[in-house]
Amino acid sequence: MKEKYIQILGIALVLIYGIFVVFLYAAEPRSLEEISSKAIETVQNAATKGQVITGTYEIDQAKFNEGLNAFRQNNFVLARDAFAKADPERRDAKTQYYIAYSFYRQGWGRLSNDDAMFKQGLESLERVDFIDKNFRSDDANLQLRTPAELKNEIEEGLRVTADDFNPLKVLRERK
Amino acid sequence: MNDEITKETHDSVFIEDRRKAELEAPAKQPDHANLNALYLRYLVLPAIFLTVALLGGLRIANDGAFVFFRPALVCLIFAAILSVLFARSGVLRLEGWFSESFTPLKNAANGFAIATLFAAAVQIFNSLLPEQGLTFWIVAFCFFWTLWNNLFADFDPRKLFRSLGGLFGLAFVAKYLILANLTAPGGKTWFEALTENPGQEAITRLLDLPRYAGSTGYIQFFAVGLFLLGLYLFPATTNDRN
Repeated sequence: MKEKYIQILGIALVLIYGIFVVFLYAAEPRSLEEISSKAIETVQNAATKGQVITGTYEIDQAKFNEGLNAFRQNNFVLARDAFAKADPERRDAKTQYYIAYSFYRQGWGRLSNDDAMFKQGLESLERVDFIDKNFRSDDANLQLRTPAELKNEIEEGLRVTADDFNPLKVLRERK
Repeated sequence: MNDEITKETHDSVFIEDRRKAELEAPAKQPDHANLNALYLRYLVLPAIFLTVALLGGLRIANDGAFVFFRPALVCLIFAAILSVLFARSGVLRLEGWFSESFTPLKNAANGFAIATLFAAAVQIFNSLLPEQGLTFWIVAFCFFWTLWNNLFADFDPRKLFRSLGGLFGLAFVAKYLILANLTAPGGKTWFEALTENPGQEAITRLLDLPRYAGSTGYIQFFAVGLFLLGLYLFPATTNDRN
């Protein structure tokens, strides 16, 4: 075999074996069986990152619809799970807005709100702002169509004021 | 007369042919040796060093699961010092691995081979240093002290090889024999552990020793042995004339 072929073979060996070693330390599989599943996961992640870099990233529409149905049936945990799978890179403003809205609706209470849920809603809203500053939802079922309105509603819910002790507050409706 | 001349000519041609054959015969041997050296340099050694890089951070948990332990920053620093030691002692002659007279492909292939040596060195320190706690800092300090002193000593490859063998051997014994035997077995409740192995449990908690399966020591013994074998086989130069 010619010297240059051995050198090319050597470089290929180092690259392939080296990538495998780096993959093992990055993915940290706990058994031999896990190696293949982690490899598939890594390839999928790499493909998604590649789509982001090349500007061809799109959400999984089927998962999004699944999430939307769950959202409309007030099954917010399932909805968020489906939305997260639909937009793994968290780069779609519409999906992120629904996630934020699901935190608001799940955290909303007639007597008191769930502050932890509301805070997570605010974090999701920050992502929406980061992705698209002029985002406006086209869903007629949502009363709060813009991130600013939703943010205001959530912040109002988080704030403790004298108005919170108004007994008529129990008559208000979730938006 | 003519017959004699013909016979002499015939003899001289025969002698000439034999000389030629003798000259050609040893020339074939270096070709074969060169080919083996190429296989060693570009295939065997990178495979050995990458295997060390793979195994160096591998630990086996008590439930048999793999734990891939990433190297601490200090391992990279030690590997860098070790690389300087290799260059100073002549284990690795840089001018013999990278040269303007080499083809770009050869320089690149050499670069990859040396990168595997560095990766293996990083992982061998990762293997021999305790994972965390007070023992990590003590052993790391001992490594640093030894490597730092070696930087200013006069070394040849054989002395360096012996020194590293001793250093790694001692570190292996400290971690995988002494500390491993001081570590209490896992998978027990706090009360069980304290009543059954109070001394070991106290030392484990005091020194923050991780609990790994015994097979970890066997894997790391293999990794250290493989690294030393790789170093032994490592050519100082890739310049075939040397």
